[in-house]
Amino acid sequence: MIGVEARTSVAPELATKTETQLAGIWHVIVLNDPVNLMSYVVMVLRKVFGFNDTKSRQHMLEVHEAGRSMVWSGEREPAEAYAHTLHQWHLTAVLERDETD
Amino acid sequence: MKRIEVRLSVTVVAPLLDVIREMAESLSDNLAVPLQIDDLDEVMSETWVSELQTAQNAELDLLLGMFDEEFFRDGAIQLDEDNADRVIRACAAVRLRLRSERLADMDETMLERGDVAMNELPESRRNVFMCYLFLATMQELIIQHLEMGSPKS
Repeated sequence: MIGVEARTSVAPELATKTETQLAGIWHVIVLNDPVNLMSYVVMVLRKVFGFNDTKSRQHMLEVHEAGRSMVWSGEREPAEAYAHTLHQWHLTAVLERDETD
Repeated sequence: MKRIEVRLSVTVVAPLLDVIREMAESLSDNLAVPLQIDDLDEVMSETWVSELQTAQNAELDLLLGMFDEEFFRDGAIQLDEDNADRVIRACAAVRLRLRSERLADMDETMLERGDVAMNELPESRRNVFMCYLFLATMQELIIQHLEMGSPKS
């Protein structure tokens, strides 16, 4: 009984902590790599995010010149889905929590 | 359905296939771009890696499968809208692997511009670099062809 009580008191706390850690707004960031072609990055951003050509090129140039570009912001779950898709296209993507909220 | 037929020189491309095969083998249990998502739980992370690896391997098989009997007979490879995305991704995976495994010591700007004196490279290295350029050319060709059929904003 003691063991069970201990587990039930710890688990919700952990769950709450994880939920809190993942709550809020998340940014999907594409990082530069020295291999993928500019035209390839533009095409991928168009396909994945539905950007028009101009917006896609702006992000590609930001990645190329600044080393990173924030391509999407929102809840954690869709952010993860976008990051997964970008990895499928072999672009390096990371998720960063918005620290301004 | 839109189809692309690319005609290549068998003499030039055939030696590059060994390089592609070698990289595909080294990618069989490695992602071309390692996952860098923090805070993913362990199960989710394993699932992601497994899914990405399975897709990557299938795409590399597709790329290698294009160089079939027809290619060795008349230099032709066939692409269509269904497989173009997967082929272009496989090209990216092999190029990333070539860069990290075989061209890591080459200057980034030189590689980006293709500004490399081929004659000064040893023969084994020449094929590696040729393969890197060849796959980029394939990607450009496919992208240009696909763009011709899609509306631009």
